[in-house]
Amino acid sequence: MGFSARDALSEFWASRISKLGVALIIVLFAISAYVLASYPLNFGTQYWNKPQYWADYPKGVPPTWTQSFSSVRRPEHMILTTDVSQKKTRGNMLIEFNINFDLRADMFPQFTSFSLYKLTFYDSPPIIHLTLTKPDGSKIEDLLVEAVPFPSSGQEPPYVKYAESPLRIYLPGSPAVRNSIADYLRTEYGSTLTPLEIRNMGIEQFMFGSPDESGAFTNVVEGTYNIRVQVEIFNEEDTVESVKFVVGGQAFGFMGTDTLGRDLSVGLLFGFPVALFIGFITSTLTTIVGSVLGIMSGYIGGRTDNLIQRISDILNNLPQLPILIFLVFILGQNIWNIIMVLVVFGWSGLTILIRSMVLQAKQEQFIEASIASGASARWIMARHIFPQVAPFVFTQMIFYTPAAILAEAALSFLGLGDPSLPTWGQILERGFQTGAIFLGYWWWIIPPGLLIVVTALCFVFIAQGLEPVVNPRLRRMR
Amino acid sequence: MMVLKIRDLYLYYQTLRGEVKAVEGVSLDIEAGEALGLVGESGCGKTSMSLGVTRLLPKNVSVYKGSIELEGKELMTLSNDKFRNEISWKKISMVFQGAMNSLNPVIKVGTQVAEPLRVHLDMDEKEAKAQVLEIFDNVGLPPETYDRYAHELSGGMKQRAVVAMALIMNPPFVILDEPTSALDVSIQAQTMNLLKRLKKERHIGMIFITHDIALSSDISDKMAVMYGGHIVEMGSAEQVILSPKHPYTQKLLASTPRLRSFSQPDFIPGAPPDLVNPPTGCNFHPRCHMAMDICRERDPPTCYPEEGQRVECWLYGDKDE
Repeated sequence: MGFSARDALSEFWASRISKLGVALIIVLFAISAYVLASYPLNFGTQYWNKPQYWADYPKGVPPTWTQSFSSVRRPEHMILTTDVSQKKTRGNMLIEFNINFDLRADMFPQFTSFSLYKLTFYDSPPIIHLTLTKPDGSKIEDLLVEAVPFPSSGQEPPYVKYAESPLRIYLPGSPAVRNSIADYLRTEYGSTLTPLEIRNMGIEQFMFGSPDESGAFTNVVEGTYNIRVQVEIFNEEDTVESVKFVVGGQAFGFMGTDTLGRDLSVGLLFGFPVALFIGFITSTLTTIVGSVLGIMSGYIGGRTDNLIQRISDILNNLPQLPILIFLVFILGQNIWNIIMVLVVFGWSGLTILIRSMVLQAKQEQFIEASIASGASARWIMARHIFPQVAPFVFTQMIFYTPAAILAEAALSFLGLGDPSLPTWGQILERGFQTGAIFLGYWWWIIPPGLLIVVTALCFVFIAQGLEPVVNPRLRRMR
Repeated sequence: MMVLKIRDLYLYYQTLRGEVKAVEGVSLDIEAGEALGLVGESGCGKTSMSLGVTRLLPKNVSVYKGSIELEGKELMTLSNDKFRNEISWKKISMVFQGAMNSLNPVIKVGTQVAEPLRVHLDMDEKEAKAQVLEIFDNVGLPPETYDRYAHELSGGMKQRAVVAMALIMNPPFVILDEPTSALDVSIQAQTMNLLKRLKKERHIGMIFITHDIALSSDISDKMAVMYGGHIVEMGSAEQVILSPKHPYTQKLLASTPRLRSFSQPDFIPGAPPDLVNPPTGCNFHPRCHMAMDICRERDPPTCYPEEGQRVECWLYGDKDE
């Protein structure tokens, strides 16, 4: 006869669907805990929405694991750093760095970039020369020549530059690079391409390719490349800490990147705790407001009842999404505003249900007995009425969690998300706006969509498992 | 010592059909340690009267007047808040019809019995538990009942828990509204013995509401018979049972089947009066086998045919007055 907490638990555990739900939610929580422990809380503003941070990442490339299904070998993303230098004298004094890398692919790298860290000089500013040597031995001399600007007046030697942020040169964007490639093509192949044409065709094919019969640079020259960085200095004590050369790959990471070069796996991971946070806070607040107002409405009755019920009728009949858009637009795109608006429009349905349950419960004799014993209305509502509706409230809370997550995703998708927190909805929205669907960037659209669905489903599973606990009619006979 | 003194208590309800005159001019006295058995058929105003005394009034009450004195203190002039804080359960407690429904199924029995202590005396759970266990012992419930839920108890145990709840504040006066209905006979006997013992030990004044005259006579010192919102006859239990004066009481007693007797139980023709439009004169005259002309015209007088016996009937009154 008795239905203890243990019975409830075993009833819940008996269904396969609740086991699945619990397993899923444990995974969700584990990932969230990991993210919270390892990511800074200001991840959104500090990293995610800062294009500079993602500059050296490839733009809009698929995950690396897609390679195993593809016949075309895409070049890997390579970040090559070295601080090993030699001092040489060739006319002038030189600091020389050598970077070697292997390129084996059927596609050209997406881009190349060069960075230099912490330059210290005493007299004239140094001049940086970059030379690329292809595996077949042909060289692009002085691919890049960059003169470090003079220190501003008033500074005393030693002059330190590029200490906080490095000197970074994006090779496809540099006119000097175009010019030297044009020179290289003229002397090596007798080609007459202008620097502008070279830019439009993409400099990578000339840096990493060789011409076929028709003269087009379509073949990737495979083998070991060498980048020589020579810093021409005018004082023996001048130093360079390190240099970096990035060969932009055509595949990246576990989840690929978006068109800003952001590593989607990182953004998707950060979405876990955000989604759970929004879901839990919203559903908790909503059920608290809904059940408190519902109990008051049902138990106190009269004018209070009328007022609460009319307000919830109005809220129920307003089209929610346009109002949500309107309010978030007015109040500002802040996560708390979004939660608040979701709560304000979420409680009314629950209130109506709870009220009808309370109307029935308050007719019971133990309520009358409690009134006779002098208990106040508040006491009765808290001690006698609430326990009657508590199981229902609890399942409603779990049911409402996915609704809140989906609502936030919908708002984000409409561009009304909190910009300081990356969410799955926002990643979807960026993808959609950039035309990821038409460009075929499936890795930008499918994973966030799936994660939203799976998270919502996980709560639905748990709520389904709880139903027979709350509603004895659904219990299986054993 | 007089515990409860009611004078001319009126309680009317406003309904869509009109005003229901549920209690009309009821007066009665109860001494400390005395039980008054209040009998009458359904809808005669027994429960309304007890609600009037405990002030558990429904929202549609239109008339509520008269005088209720508890231990010499007038209750009718007290504000609702004051009544709730000082009188409810501390001075007047109640055992409701059907013990089963008086216990909240989702709260532990002990917690519920302790509720008045927590509400009125602001006791913490530990103190309250000690008191509850004491009263449980008194009513014959084992201590482990404290942590049980209502559905885990038998009918008799539930009844005891409800009685324990009524007595937890040690009130001088308790209203028992059909406390034994829906119990089987052996449990009924157990409960009655318990109530009799508690009445003696604790010296509590009681109103025992029932429609079972035999049961009522078992515990009552005094008995009152109610009909159509009036107390038509009141006296000591012996007087009312052995020499009933009012025709209604006589008929009521005659309708009770007797053990080892071949006489057919009698019945009362007609139906209880409609309290929205009560008959003129005596409420009982349409069903009365001894009705006279005057009964239809004028309200019956209050007569005292015997010492301590009060009857509202023209049979004993001076018709020429």
